[in-house]
Amino acid sequence: MPVIFINGEAVDTGEHPTVLQAALANGFYVPHFCWHPELSVVGNCRVCLVEQEGRGVNIACNMPVVDGMRIETDSETVRAQRKAMLQFILLNHPVDCGICDKAGECTLQDYHYAYNGEPALSREPKLKGTKFYPLSSRILLDNERCILCSRCVRFTREVSKSNVLGIEYRGDSALVRPAEDRTLDDDPYSDNVIDICPVGALLSRSFLHQARVWYLEPTPSVCPRCARGCTVQLWHRKPEWQLKTLDPSHNTRILRVTPLENPRVNGPWICNRGRDLGEVLERPRAEQALQKGAGVTMMEAIEATRALIAESTRRIALVSSWASNEELRAFQNALGDRFTSFVKPDQLPEEGEVVEDELLIRADKNPNTRAAQDLFGSEAPEIREDADLILVWGEGVDFAQLPRGAKIVFLGSWLLPEVGHADVFIPLSIQTERRGHYTNFEGVVSAFEPCQPRPEGVIDAETLFPLLAAPGGARGRA
Amino acid sequence: MTGRKVLTGFEITADSHTLAGYRARGGYEALAKALKTMQPRDVTQEIVDSGIQGRGGAAFPAGRKWQGIDPHDGQPHYLIANADEGEPGTFKDRWVLEHDPHALLESMLLGSYALGVRHAFVYIRGEYDRPWRRLDAAVEEAYAEGLFGENILGSGFSCDLFVFRGAGAYVCGEASSLLGSIEGTRAWPRNRPPRMTVRGLYQAPTVVNNVETIASMAWIIRNGAQAFREIGTEKSPGTRLISISGHIRYPGVYEVELGYSWTKFLHEDCGGLLCNKPLKAVIPGGISSQVMTGMDAKVLTPGEVEGMTLDHEVLRAAGSSLGSGGMIVIAEGTCMVRLLQIMLRFYRHESCGQCTPCREGTGWMHRIIDRIVAGEGRPEDIGTLYHIARFNDGTTICGLGDAAGYAATAMLDNFRDEFDYYIEHGHSKFGGNLECQ
Amino acid sequence: MKHLIPEFERLKTRLPPGHDATLLLPCLRRIQEDQGYIADGDIEGLVEYLGVPRIQIEEVLSFYGMLRRAPIGRWHLQVCHNVSCSMRGAERLLDHLSGRLGIQPGETTPDRRFTLSTVECLGACGTAPVVMVNEAYHENLDPAGLDALLERLD
Repeated sequence: MPVIFINGEAVDTGEHPTVLQAALANGFYVPHFCWHPELSVVGNCRVCLVEQEGRGVNIACNMPVVDGMRIETDSETVRAQRKAMLQFILLNHPVDCGICDKAGECTLQDYHYAYNGEPALSREPKLKGTKFYPLSSRILLDNERCILCSRCVRFTREVSKSNVLGIEYRGDSALVRPAEDRTLDDDPYSDNVIDICPVGALLSRSFLHQARVWYLEPTPSVCPRCARGCTVQLWHRKPEWQLKTLDPSHNTRILRVTPLENPRVNGPWICNRGRDLGEVLERPRAEQALQKGAGVTMMEAIEATRALIAESTRRIALVSSWASNEELRAFQNALGDRFTSFVKPDQLPEEGEVVEDELLIRADKNPNTRAAQDLFGSEAPEIREDADLILVWGEGVDFAQLPRGAKIVFLGSWLLPEVGHADVFIPLSIQTERRGHYTNFEGVVSAFEPCQPRPEGVIDAETLFPLLAAPGGARGRA
Repeated sequence: MTGRKVLTGFEITADSHTLAGYRARGGYEALAKALKTMQPRDVTQEIVDSGIQGRGGAAFPAGRKWQGIDPHDGQPHYLIANADEGEPGTFKDRWVLEHDPHALLESMLLGSYALGVRHAFVYIRGEYDRPWRRLDAAVEEAYAEGLFGENILGSGFSCDLFVFRGAGAYVCGEASSLLGSIEGTRAWPRNRPPRMTVRGLYQAPTVVNNVETIASMAWIIRNGAQAFREIGTEKSPGTRLISISGHIRYPGVYEVELGYSWTKFLHEDCGGLLCNKPLKAVIPGGISSQVMTGMDAKVLTPGEVEGMTLDHEVLRAAGSSLGSGGMIVIAEGTCMVRLLQIMLRFYRHESCGQCTPCREGTGWMHRIIDRIVAGEGRPEDIGTLYHIARFNDGTTICGLGDAAGYAATAMLDNFRDEFDYYIEHGHSKFGGNLECQ
Repeated sequence: MKHLIPEFERLKTRLPPGHDATLLLPCLRRIQEDQGYIADGDIEGLVEYLGVPRIQIEEVLSFYGMLRRAPIGRWHLQVCHNVSCSMRGAERLLDHLSGRLGIQPGETTPDRRFTLSTVECLGACGTAPVVMVNEAYHENLDPAGLDALLERLD
């Protein structure tokens, strides 16, 4: 492996083909706007300039490592040029950080403080550009803030391949625009451009002016919306910055979802449906245990279920493919031998949704089918007409299709019509309220952490199953 | 007379630009000779030996560029003649295209043979209509005579030529951006590495040569490298087409033997300045070469024969360059502030917008000079212009940004008093004059 | 643009196979020559014919100064105002034209006869100043010569 010298230190460049990559991997930070590990090298921002002994200054992102080369990332020349590049970039940038969602996580802000820090040299009025240009129902473009790094353009060409975005015109009139025959709504991965935009030029309409990012923190989680199981970050307010509000859900809402970079699963990307986890996770919750539609205590519901188990002989369980690995094992350990179990999909593809593609999206719209099938087999549910007890775990089952003579115990989290039609309904917690793991379709296990409080009336499935199985009733335990 | 000729040594008649006219002066003999008696590598070697330097602006040894390609490495190669002549003050390639298109075509065939090229291109600027008609007619004549296509002159060598017309973008004269234009994308220059001889058009090894450079190749093969070396100077062999314009009595294209006296050229061959004014300044090789004062160019008065000679080394040593051969002569009484305004407007207009320093810097410089010309200059503007120029130098993807900076710096260095005067008084020291009055 | 496809197909014979996108600029130029501008339908036709994404065509259209997406006046007067032409009277020429036609650069006369533009160096510096009228160069012009030229343009 070529060894190069960065700021006098010998560095084994390993598999890294360029000076920029070798430097970053070895703890020498070289600032960069346009370079992105998953995109082609264009070298247009000119901020990653480094000095090579004997060769002068050039951009590190396009500089192949050559054994023995000596690189300075912070020489006087480099510092002066970097400063000048930031002056150029800021020439027509509006510096409207006060009203910009990116403020606080903006690369340009960071670099300005780290490498420039000086007032503008220019006294010319800033060129005006379009603000809040709608690229789609999800994304706005602010051409004044755009620094033309072309990351978004390359993303739609090289990663999502939707070819929606381009740079039109030239010189200081050049600007990002969508193709006239489409919008970013045609790109199921479009929101990644918001993340990779190094400035506040691409804005999420759902997150627009919702919160200052420094009041937020991310909780690691796993997107449950398909079998890929992309790792994500759920952003919500920091506990120390709780709002004083009549509706406490403001403090626990998921304000945005971003990818949690994961080379084994999703790289740095997720699809737009993964951004919209609120659609599934913030649906109205079922928080009340029911018996034939009437409210009962959790204790009473558990007792009733135990009784139904005891009275029945031909028991079938329809196991949730949204249950965590831990819950699946808990069910297997507690009740596995008393039920004939089938794994069923909780969710099916929706109208208009991309069913499957070559990047991330999988046809199986459930996060944990693989783990569930490893325990309970992959045969399609086959419900005998003479079944006398059916345990429905999770959604996706039409009760009308179940044998009339069977009693139904329904374990679920959402306020669905079925909760009233079951003989017993027990409300369960969801993935944002507990810790757990999903196993994706390739067998990669990813963890999710809780970030929302568990509603009063619901129970974790892991706690529930031993109670249902315990001999002699659950008195004094729940 | 401006010395011996390589390209223009024939009389222009009604049909001198046609195939018949070209054949009558020995045209396509070099091709026949090469295909019969020379291996591809011999042709390249001849070009290397001739010492010819690129005539587009950078003066890189053309043979060395050709040596970057192995004609037998089994991949496709491309040869492109760069006829995207757009450097202000330059119109010499237009002369070749209009008056001697077959010299270009024969040279393209020789180059294609030397470099193992099956498909060659001429990239001609979009506005050139008559030059394109002449070239296009020549191409059709050559095809009709079997000089292009399959099995040329029964040699087994095959080559097609596509004349590609630009559509109005100066930056396409930059070789890598020209490739993007041919590939059907927005013409943005490409970062080096890789060099184009490694990965160029369609990702294949590619040579891009200026029209004048390549058009000289037929002469070199016909007469031999040695004959070429005997013309010009030791370090700058051959001739240059100089297109001269501005405040000069006989503007036009002149073929000048390298090493020729600049004074003689201006005052005798080109008839001296208009209005009998003294020479204030001269831009030797297109506006991207640094302006020189008449004093520095040592061509102050007619008859002063000891001045500078026209060759690459001498001009480089004087801090400028022969560049594209687009010489602009500027008489006393001309407002240099206004001239720089025009130049900076040009660079801003033509910046492709890809890389930061050029995209922002050219616009910034233009807005400053516009303000100065409007009478609202500030003393610190000069420093800012220098700053922008300094940080466009060597930081951009292609040379356009550097060139804008060179133009500004050379103007400020040489005519600082005029700029200071304009800023202080809010108007031009020379009444904003551009014309020779 | 459909009627031009046979012509485009002939162009292909001198190109290396498999690089149809190379025809993009030649096609755009030919379409504009044919009908004066490039219409939306032509862009759609080229997307289909060349198999390039529409955004690429839009980028190319906006990048090159000569391409346009809307019709202009019958005679396009393009006055070079770069260094050599300005040194030979281009600015006076432009003022004269502007005054005579009553329009500014970038505008078209109400009768759609003339569109006036400024352009950067056309490579006619030795015969400056130059005005490009549609495709043709008119060189060594002065206001009187320009007036005579305008008379000939209906």
